[in-house]
Amino acid sequence: MGRRGWIGAGLVAAALLVLPPLTGFHPYYLYLVSTALLFGTVATSWNLLAYAGQISFGHAAFFGLGGYGAALASLGGLSPWVAIALGGAVGAVGAAGISLASARLRGAYLALATLAYAEIWRGIAHNWTAVSGGGAGLIGIPPLPTLAWLPVDFTRGRAGSYYLSLAFLVVVIAVFGGILRSRVGLAFAAVREEEERASLLGVRALPWKVLAFALSGLFSGLAGGLYVHMVRVVEPDLVFNRYFSILPLVMATFGGLHTLLGPAMAALGLYLVSELLLHPYVPAFHQLPYALALIAVVLYLPGGLAGLLPGKRSGAA
Amino acid sequence: MAFGGLLALRGVDIAVEEHQVVGLLGPNGSGKTTLFNILSGLLRPTAGEVWFAGCRVTNLAPWRLSGLGIGRTFQIARPFAHSTVFDNVLVGITFRSRHHYRRVLDRRREAERLLAMVGLAPKASARANELSLGERKRLELAMALSTRPTVLLLDELASGLSPKGREEVIRFYGRLKERGLTIFAIEHSFRVLAHVADRLVVLDQGTIVAEGRPAQVLGSPRVMQAYLGEDE
Repeated sequence: MGRRGWIGAGLVAAALLVLPPLTGFHPYYLYLVSTALLFGTVATSWNLLAYAGQISFGHAAFFGLGGYGAALASLGGLSPWVAIALGGAVGAVGAAGISLASARLRGAYLALATLAYAEIWRGIAHNWTAVSGGGAGLIGIPPLPTLAWLPVDFTRGRAGSYYLSLAFLVVVIAVFGGILRSRVGLAFAAVREEEERASLLGVRALPWKVLAFALSGLFSGLAGGLYVHMVRVVEPDLVFNRYFSILPLVMATFGGLHTLLGPAMAALGLYLVSELLLHPYVPAFHQLPYALALIAVVLYLPGGLAGLLPGKRSGAA
Repeated sequence: MAFGGLLALRGVDIAVEEHQVVGLLGPNGSGKTTLFNILSGLLRPTAGEVWFAGCRVTNLAPWRLSGLGIGRTFQIARPFAHSTVFDNVLVGITFRSRHHYRRVLDRRREAERLLAMVGLAPKASARANELSLGERKRLELAMALSTRPTVLLLDELASGLSPKGREEVIRFYGRLKERGLTIFAIEHSFRVLAHVADRLVVLDQGTIVAEGRPAQVLGSPRVMQAYLGEDE
């Protein structure tokens, strides 16, 4: 990414940092932007997985597992902070599980396996009533507690979950950025581009694929864990919804596949346009931006929005 | 080696001595690349064994064989197309299990050395899919060398190249031989193999039809028959 790109990203980050006081800690707007930030986190984690050549149609599984893991931990008496961290761990384990189970699958076959995996978890959550609460789900999940030791009341109202969403997004971007510059990124790219060739050069693909899934599941699980603490309820049709599988895919490809900031920027843009501009006025069409984004990527923008930047080639960047 | 009812290789028994260059010849479909795929772990043989440095290595995964010191190139270059030329070479240097460098700087220096050796240093930051055919062949060689193999399987390094490019390949073979590598090479060009090989093996329809010193083998009527067919 060029200098201008970093300056732009810095400005967006600064604006996001001061947004809560600017809105007067307005709960609705903070909820909306928090959700957009969580989508940014899931879209970036989806992109991280795609960087290793693994295409998922089932990120709702990792999001939902994180949501249920965190909800059960919180309802069991653990601190919501610890519960959300546990949600991340559950998401990571769930993702590593499908990676191992589908080790021989690639491309569209792998994508379909992940889609089925999310549906399986939705079915389990619907039917394992003793643990998951069945179709009615679990209620009474506590909100994030305030942190008295913070100099400003950062956890006032929905500001706590807002800043935590922002922190998750910053961390997943930082982790992905670190990966791109490390031997992990080199292995991911090699496995993605030519798995057999990579193997002949000493790269054993399976551990790298599992690592990519686990990292992606970790951040999606963290997002799911925080989300259920924001809405304070968890239901199978809420957190295992295909919405959480398809939207991150659309956001990541529209922002720019394999780019560092594209998925997060696209998530913020698409979600906020959908919820702030369309939902209040033309609710029936509020998902139109996602459809248009997908059409645009398929027909005109193979490199996504990042492909429009000067010096960027289309496709992998 | 059989693919369903088709016997691709039958009774093939080849020994490649250390530090030798052995050439593998044969018309299209004679089983040369199948043999290389077995030796590099990409195919599991339906019968027979592969031995390397006194150890049975049949059915070992490619990454294990790479770790033991077997490197290979492909007839149609298979680089990491969207990665830079530099990263293509860096992969093998980073993930090889022998002669491993802990420091990133050392790995990068070796990648620079390898690219300079094959004449691709000026293209280090280009993407592999931007290279010409000849440059891709050179990148293939650099990638194969990046794991520091002791045995190199070269699959038609000279094919599709201009006469000048073939001369260059002959020079590469000479340099690899000087470095003490053991080379098993498929080539269609008799001229290239006559220059570089210590011994030739000729395959036809999955079986060995001739074997020996280049001068003997290239003049053999059985080899001519395999390439040109029988007179009516």
